[in-house]
Amino acid sequence: MSDLHWLSAAEASRAFAARTLSPVELTTALLHRIEALNPKLHAFIRLDAEAAMDAARAAEKDIAAGRIRGPLHGVPIGLKDIIDVAGLPTTAHSQILVDNIAKADAVVTAKLKQAGAVILGKLSTHEFAIGGPSFDLPFPPARNPWNPDHHPGGSSSGSGAGVCAGLFPLALGTDTGGSVRNPASMCGIVGLKPTYGLVSRRGVFPLSFTLDHVGPMTRTVADNAMLLDCIAGHDSSDPGSAATQARQFGRTLDRGVRDLRIGFIRHFHEQDMPAHPEVTAALEDVARVLATEGAEVRDVTLPSLTEFAGINRVILCSEAWSIHAPWLRARPGDYGKLARRRLLPGAFMTAGDYVGAQRRRLELIAAVEDALRDVDVLLCASSMDPASRLDDAEETARTYPRQARAPFNVTGHPALAMMAGLSDSGLPLSLQLVGRYFDDATVLRVAAAYERATDWHRKRPPIA
Amino acid sequence: MDPIVEALARAAGLEKALADHPDDVAAAAAQALNNAGAVKVPTNPAAEPWPPMRAGVGL
Repeated sequence: MSDLHWLSAAEASRAFAARTLSPVELTTALLHRIEALNPKLHAFIRLDAEAAMDAARAAEKDIAAGRIRGPLHGVPIGLKDIIDVAGLPTTAHSQILVDNIAKADAVVTAKLKQAGAVILGKLSTHEFAIGGPSFDLPFPPARNPWNPDHHPGGSSSGSGAGVCAGLFPLALGTDTGGSVRNPASMCGIVGLKPTYGLVSRRGVFPLSFTLDHVGPMTRTVADNAMLLDCIAGHDSSDPGSAATQARQFGRTLDRGVRDLRIGFIRHFHEQDMPAHPEVTAALEDVARVLATEGAEVRDVTLPSLTEFAGINRVILCSEAWSIHAPWLRARPGDYGKLARRRLLPGAFMTAGDYVGAQRRRLELIAAVEDALRDVDVLLCASSMDPASRLDDAEETARTYPRQARAPFNVTGHPALAMMAGLSDSGLPLSLQLVGRYFDDATVLRVAAAYERATDWHRKRPPIA
Repeated sequence: MDPIVEALARAAGLEKALADHPDDVAAAAAQALNNAGAVKVPTNPAAEPWPPMRAGVGL
């Protein structure tokens, strides 16, 4: 079997069951690829090859004996380095936590281990999932496999770069203002921010308690649903965890979109934050493809992106300040400049600012809920521009906030970003789909229909 | 630096940041003002915040 690194998790799992591939063969192939490409991409902060090979050998033995735990058994995965793996450092890509060894697995890590997944190691992030891309941290920033001179999006940057480059088929990221969907958009993969409360956050370093989500990042929609199946579920130790029975997120992937109504939020990228013309053209093409597939596509209007973004920032900065204040007071120089600048505003926000934002938040939630009474899924932009160059700090600062992801951290609705084209400069363009609470399955269903109707998921970055 | 910003920073315990990274402190204060100003706080006094207030078994 050639090109093992491009196998999806579902393909690998089927090959394991058919005995045409073993977890040890796949893990070995991926470790060789990581050795070759990671020095250029910096996806990993910490590769744990020894533990990965131990897990692969154990999976191989179990599968050979017919003890197959499920579709992730023996499949390699990488974890953003704010997610705890017992015995490994959780650094958050920061000098502040450079010696922080996790005492226990995060709930999502424990679920992956229980499912027999092979954990390869810890992946690059923006510092504390907010400060990046940065060159003044203990580890270099990840780079975009489509062009290593460009950033791969963030903050789950190593997750995006590694999945895109074929270093692993699955990764976990986290998303507080768009940090799963940004790297998915910049790297041309599939990233889902599940419904708030669907996936436990216990053992994941917090950035903002009421905005944080853990989400799957993959090259295919089917793999995304499969990974979500593994990590979703109520956790009584996470106060934000929902007591939902939502499961089997891939059950409708093959149903198409013929009976679905899709609301296109054009004003986000046409008026509120005018997008790069190639992004606008790509989104129009997405709407055309979905209509051709049988969906009814109609325009929908929500409150402005500016307001969603302001509320996201007030809540995020206020909650993050309550976490970081002791370090910002005692060790401000141990943060990189970007993280310091993005965390300090919380010191200047009042209790009234915070509660006012949370009150307006409920009204914005009602506005999105109203829209989702008339349509099944929303379609809108993810990023307004292709990825900027890593060495162009000014352009990165200009383009980074030009996104339509933060609204759905504010509201908690499930939101998925995936590839929707390539720019003239060879960088991925993207779309975003948003669904009703705990109806992540329908978001994935629409994404799967788009994936089947187009070839973007088959494109490989030049570094491959 | 604006004396009000400096006073607020000291009240927040940011003496070290003020001394070593005054530009970051000033930029953060400006950003906070900008972000908070973008929020249209509900005029209805009864408008509740999210997450919803829910009394649990411990109350």
